[in-house]
Parts: sequence; structure tokens; C-alpha cells
Amino acid sequence: MSYLDSSVPPIRERRHPETALAHGATRCGQGPKRAVCAIMAQADRSFTQGSICPLLPALGIMTSLPETVVLLHGAVGCGACANGNNVNIRAGRAARGQPGQDALWLSTTLTEINVINGGEERLAEALVAADQAYHPKVILAVSGCLPGVIGDDLDAVAAQTQPRVQAKILPVHCEGFKSRFMATAYDVVYHAVGRGLLPDQSTGPKDPLAVNVMNVGSMGLVDEKELARLLGELGLKANFFPVFADPDSFELATRARVSISVCPTHDDYFLEHLREKFGVPYIIKHMPIGIKNTSQWLISLGQELGLAKEARALAKKEEAELERALAEFRPLFAGRTAFVSAGEYRSLATALLLRELGFKILAIRSFHIDSFAEVELAKLDQTGDFILNVANVQPFEEANLIKKLQPDIFLGHWHGNSTAARLGVPTQVIYNSGHAYIGYQGVYDLARRLHRRLSHPEFYARLGRYAHLPYRPGWYEEEAFSHIREAQS
Amino acid sequence: MSGAFLERPRWACSLGGALAAAGNLPETVPILHAGPGCAGNFAWANNGAAGLAVTGPCLGLSVPATNIQENEVIFGGLDRLREEILSTFKVMSGRLYFVLTGCLPEVIGDDVESLVTELATRETPHKSRLVMASVAGFKGDSFHGYEEVLKTLILKVIRPSSTKIHHLVNVWGLPPTLDPFWRGNIDGLAELLALLGVEANFFFGPRATHQALTQAGQASLNIVVSGLYGLAAAELFKQKHGTKFIQTPLPLGATASDRFLTRVGRALKIPASRVKKAIAEAGQRHYSYLEPIIDVFNDMEAQRHVLVIGDVNQALALNDFFAADLGWVPELTVITNELTVEDQARVRQYHLDMGGYPPERLIFQNQSHLIAQEAKAIWGETKGKYHNSRRPIFLAGSSLDRTLANELGATHLSLTYPIANRAILTRGYVGYAGGLRLTEDAVSALIAGR
Repeated sequence: MSYLDSSVPPIRERRHPETALAHGATRCGQGPKRAVCAIMAQADRSFTQGSICPLLPALGIMTSLPETVVLLHGAVGCGACANGNNVNIRAGRAARGQPGQDALWLSTTLTEINVINGGEERLAEALVAADQAYHPKVILAVSGCLPGVIGDDLDAVAAQTQPRVQAKILPVHCEGFKSRFMATAYDVVYHAVGRGLLPDQSTGPKDPLAVNVMNVGSMGLVDEKELARLLGELGLKANFFPVFADPDSFELATRARVSISVCPTHDDYFLEHLREKFGVPYIIKHMPIGIKNTSQWLISLGQELGLAKEARALAKKEEAELERALAEFRPLFAGRTAFVSAGEYRSLATALLLRELGFKILAIRSFHIDSFAEVELAKLDQTGDFILNVANVQPFEEANLIKKLQPDIFLGHWHGNSTAARLGVPTQVIYNSGHAYIGYQGVYDLARRLHRRLSHPEFYARLGRYAHLPYRPGWYEEEAFSHIREAQS
Repeated sequence: MSGAFLERPRWACSLGGALAAAGNLPETVPILHAGPGCAGNFAWANNGAAGLAVTGPCLGLSVPATNIQENEVIFGGLDRLREEILSTFKVMSGRLYFVLTGCLPEVIGDDVESLVTELATRETPHKSRLVMASVAGFKGDSFHGYEEVLKTLILKVIRPSSTKIHHLVNVWGLPPTLDPFWRGNIDGLAELLALLGVEANFFFGPRATHQALTQAGQASLNIVVSGLYGLAAAELFKQKHGTKFIQTPLPLGATASDRFLTRVGRALKIPASRVKKAIAEAGQRHYSYLEPIIDVFNDMEAQRHVLVIGDVNQALALNDFFAADLGWVPELTVITNELTVEDQARVRQYHLDMGGYPPERLIFQNQSHLIAQEAKAIWGETKGKYHNSRRPIFLAGSSLDRTLANELGATHLSLTYPIANRAILTRGYVGYAGGLRLTEDAVSALIAGR
């Protein structure tokens, strides 16, 4: 039975029980396989800092869908992050020729009365009113923590209200307390999309040239163009899902020749469904970030489609061209030390990229680690030792490590970067939609930005002298991972 | 006012407002007892709403948080909170540890107060204290959370003092972040009060110190610069510390500053002649800066019809600034707070009592699509050859109001929360100098294509 047959998607803890959230050790002296096993799925922390629940990345995807209303069922602050998501949505729409368009999100603003009496009636009213006010194609009814704990039946309300609503109502189960892993976000969105926007059966013949490329919220149009360019060189056509995809276009996904993931931990839920139900095979290995990784990604696609020779030739040509372009940057990079922090795959793939550019990797922090990481960890283990810290941000561990390791550059994301910057370390954002990261173009552009940053790090040097972090001086003397312990549940 | 849903809410929940407040107190470490995504949620909200100001000394994803999961929802979260508080004492440096409870622990019934009381007396590090505020998201909006933090300060942090210092006042009513210009506006208030020789505690922001906060009981007057926020706290302060309070609008620009100084002077029994002299000098200085642009300002026909959209503090203060200082014409002023009918009436009356300028139309509305309807009723189709179009229009609102500004053909400037498209560091519009900055920014918006 497919996961999509049940109304509620399983959390990552159940679907990928090997997934780990807390780990810290060097990988020295451990075989790749053993090292992965040594990461305890059940580890936890006795001190934690605020984090991100699945709602935030899920909103990043959901608010990008055109002609869609995102209705947050929760207290008024739940989903306030949509203000931040909206910055990306506006930029993404502008890049796609639709400037000045805000995402559309609403809240059912649950109050104390709803906590006592339930929020189902309020949700039903909001669905009807939103349909009448905006006439969208789709309303995503998104459950935050509160409805989950007071026991609102999201699916029942959606089903009962649907006859009164023209838009298609898709329930999205995003109760933050149900999963420790923000990667659950991808599953809950795919669950809603898979159940609501795919046809019962393919509506037409397969398109032998069409490839489903599963994008991620952290990719901008510039990255999609690079992948479309590479696929175009092989005579293939890229259809991008789910970010910024029109609700009506998902049907095309069922008729593609093959699906390929850009970020393996992101997509297995949906791609397996497309394979099972519509016979679309998929490739879920490698992330096209870095020189070798991009080539391997491309060749794996070529192999699946009988274009292996063409893909190899393309990769060889692209690598040679890129290598010539990188020559001006390499002298500055040689032997510089880097610290990388991001989502599982992104962090590992970017570390490989940095090694290709001549950097020495001191440490990698991943938001989580699951079995998808094995391929990348094996690649990394072949080319040197480093500290692996699994942490859903937790900047106190990062600050401790940075003080001890003193990297030349830190590549991270929100709050990771600002923590490093406050310690005077030049930083480079590891993903931000709108900047190129993916494919050969992405390698070049990241190298160009790194060169610029390392040539002009003055801002960070001054900031480090004056900025403040909230930790006790004694914390920096402690072992960085001293708060990691076995989970207590 | 509000319907079955709220469109793109222009505030967060009680926890969000409380975190923005507690995280901007001096030497303070907030501790969230909440679900795992609340801190990230507010950090990303700030990204698109707070003039790029996302973090503070202990905000964003640095804030200690229990990140409670299903296990705690079922079995209770107090053990996890105890562990988190004790760990926080070891890792994080602060004089004030401030526990804030979110939706989940309050629904499941964690007795956080007892735990905090127990740890506050036995476990808290030397020279620091542990307090809490109960600010579940379902209990109210950001303004509610801000007020709850003030109440905790008044009851648990500020030391009672029988001696009052005459020229020391406390000022509040600008919720950090929700007033995206709060830091600059505090600077403006400090400058204004200094004109009368008055010193002020603002509790929040770069000017505040922990010592001044704990000694706030010595102030002889509390000033609430809001028509609404912080009044309950002022009453509580009066009961607990015997300090009287006055309420004034946020003094944006010269006219409002004149009135502010007069009111404060009267409340502190500062000789009227001294106040008058201070006002006259400030006015001279103010207009010496403004005068050079008069040629162009006048000849470009800069006078505008104004549409203001913002919360109760900002909307009315902006309305009055544009009307009284620039002589622009407030046509429609929209207050976006979720208010009871009684509070709406109170706000209207307060505005008139304070000498505010009545706009052509004042409405309470927080749904953007309904605000657009109201605006289009005024600025809809051109009717015939001789039509008083009430144009050109200047829209003083949030960055969410840019679409409406485009539809109306209005000049837009982001002045109220949420603000995604401005970087705000020291910028503030309170006071005489603040009024000059607001004139600079508004007129610059008019001539951006010049």
C-alpha cells in the first residue's frame, strides 16, 4: 500500500528510522560504512536552541504555487514565517516575469475559545470565505501544532467542506511537534500534492523526452536554467516540480520518461509514488552541486535513458571548460580552511565542491543524517578527515567549534552564518534562491563569490571585534558535543 | 471586523511579541517552552517584516528552547523544561532568564509557574534571576505578548523604591519589531526628553541596562506613548510601585513633539517658561534644516492626499504628521489592529482628545482585500471632466500594501509593519529630527525617478 493511500503521511522517524539529529565526532579511523552506523538515530541534546519545524520549509514550497491560497489553521503567529518566504516568492515570481506579486497566506487565528471548543467550524468557515474572496485553484489547508493537539480532524473538515468550495482543498499535516526532522516537510507537501493534484491515471501518452526534475525551495530560477541547459544538450526537456509549479501542471509529471532528484533526501516519497502508480522510473542519487557530482548526476540520467555515452561526453566537455574558467581563482583557495553547515545533502555536496576548489574541510554540520547520506559520506571519507556534527542549527555547538577551529571561511545558512560572522569569520551563504549553486555554472559562480569574499573580508574582521554572542566564556572551554546524549523517550 | 480568516496577518502571536520584547531586554536570555519551530518561525517572519532586523543578542535560532515533541505532549513537558533551564544557566550568559510558554505546554497543562518559582529560588546563578510570562499563541497577538513581558518586569524584576527621582521617567508603548523603527524612535524620545532635562528608562534596546531596568521603580512618571499598548502595564505599575502615568501619542515630527513636551512638562511640573523655551529652540533648529528644500518642495507641488495603513500607534501618528507638519490631506486612515468595538471607540476618542487630526475617513480593517475595496471606493473610476480626484496619492503603509499602491497609482513608502523592503538600523521618526527624516524619506519617494 502506498503511503498516499492514508490521509496522514508518516513522519520521517517512521519512514527513515535511521535518521539522526544529534552527533558530533571526527570521522578519522572509521570505515565509511561503520561511521554511518555509529551515528545514533536516537541521540538528542540536554540543551537545545530554537529550531525550525516542518511548517517553515513546507510553507516555502506551498506559497510558491501560483493561484493557490495557503490557509494556516492555527494561532495567529503560526506561519508568520510566510513573511520571510514571501521575499523569495516575490523574487522567484519576478524572475519568472511576474514582478510585484505577493504570496497569499491566511490564518484561522485560533483563540482560547477554539482550544476549548475545537477549531473545525472556524476552519470550515475560513475555507468557504477564502474561496469566495480569492477564487483560487487550490486551497492548502495547513494544520499547525494547535489543531493537532486539540484534535481537529483536518481531513474530515476538508471533505465535508469541499462541496461548498470551488477550489480544490488539500489538507496538509504540518503539526510541528510530530516530527523532529524538518525533512518531514517535503513528505507532507508531496503527500498533499500527490493525493490532490495528480490524476487517477495518466491522461495521455508518455513524453519520451520529458524529465521530471524535482526542484527545491532553495533553488532559484538560475539553477533551474542550468539544469535545463544541460538536459537540453542531451535533447531532453526538463519539467520542474514542485516549487513554482502551476497546480494544473502536476499532471505532466505522470507522463514523463523519468524523474530525477536534485536533493535525494527531499524526494523519495513522491518519486516512489510516481513510479508505483504511473510507471515513471526515478533516479535518486547525487546532488548536482560540485564538479564530479554534477557529472555523476548527468551520467546517471544518461544511463537510465540510453544516453550514457552522450552524457559522458557532455560532462567531459563541461568539466574542461569549467576548469579553465576556475584557474584564476584557484591560487587564493589552495589550502584555505572551510567549515560547512546546511541541510544533509547540501552540506555534504558543498564540502565536496570546496575540496574540488582546493579548500581543506575542517567540519561539516548537517541538519540531519539519514541513509541517503551514505553515498556522499563515502565520497568525503576518501579525500580526508573532518568533524561531522549533526545538528538542526544549534549555534552554541557551532560557536564552540568555530572558536577552536578558526576556519578561513564558513558556508552556512540562517543564524549559522550570523554566528560565524559575529566571531569574525567571513561567511558565504550556502543556499539562497536567486544565486547560482547548481551544475557547472553553480560551481563557477560560487567560486567567484568565494574569491570575492576572501579577497575582501574586512566587514567580518571588524564585526568580530565588536559583535556579541550570548554564551558564557566558559562554554568555549567545554567539549562542543558535551550536551549530546541518548534520547530520553 | 475580522472575518473567518485573517489575510497575511500584520503581527504574530503573543509568543512572537513576547520574544521580540524579552530578547531585546538588556542581558536577557529568553527560554522558549514551545514547539520546535516557533523560534525559526519568528526569525523568518522578521526576515520579511522587520526592516531586515532578524536577530538580537539572544534571538533568532540562538534562543534556548525546549522544542517539545509528541512525547512531551503526551507525558508533559516539565522534565524537559527543567533540564533546559539548568543547561541554559551553564551555557548562556545573562542577568535575566525569561521563560516564555507557547501553545503546546499551555494546552497540555504544564505547571511552568511552579517550576520557575522552584528554580528561581534555588538554582539561579549568582546575580541573576529567572522569571516567566505565559504567552501561548492562542491567547493573543504580538501586542498582548509585549504587554505580558512588561507585566512580568513590573512584578518580578523592577525593585520597589520609596524614593522617586524627579527627572527620571520610564517610557514604553513601542513594541520592539512591531514598530520596525523602535530603536530609532527610542533615540528620538530620549532626545526629546533631554530637551527638558529629563532622563528615561526605555527597558528595551541598545540604551537599556539591566541596572536601570531593576531601578525603574525610582522613576517619578511613566509615559505610555501609545493609544493602546502598555496601558494595563501602566496601571499595574501604579498599583505595585505607586508611580503615576500619562498617555501620549507617538510624537512623530514637530507638531506632535511640541505637544509631547508640553504634556510631559506639565506632568513633571517643569516650569512652563522652560518648556516653551525648549520648544521654540527646537522649532528654530528644525526649520533651519527644512528651509533649504522649500523652493523645490513648494514648486513641485508636493502636497499629497494620504492613505495610511498601520497599527493603532503608527497609523494615527503618521496621519497626524502628514496633516499637521506637511499639510498633506489624510483621506483614508486604516487601523489594522484587531479591536473590540469598545476599544475602537476609545481609540477614536483618544485621538481627538489628544488634538489629533481627524482624517476624512478612519476605519478599522485588517483584511488587505477589504482595505483595497475601501480605497477603490474613494479612488475608483474618474467621473467626467471636472472630477475632484483626491490625487496624487501617497500611501504610508507596510510593504504588503505595494500592490494596492500600484493599483491606485500612489507613491508608496514602507512605514508600518511588516516592512520587507527597507534596512532599518538607527532610522526613527520620533521627535523633531525624526520629522525631518520622515520628510526626507517621503519626499525622496516622490522624486525617486527625478
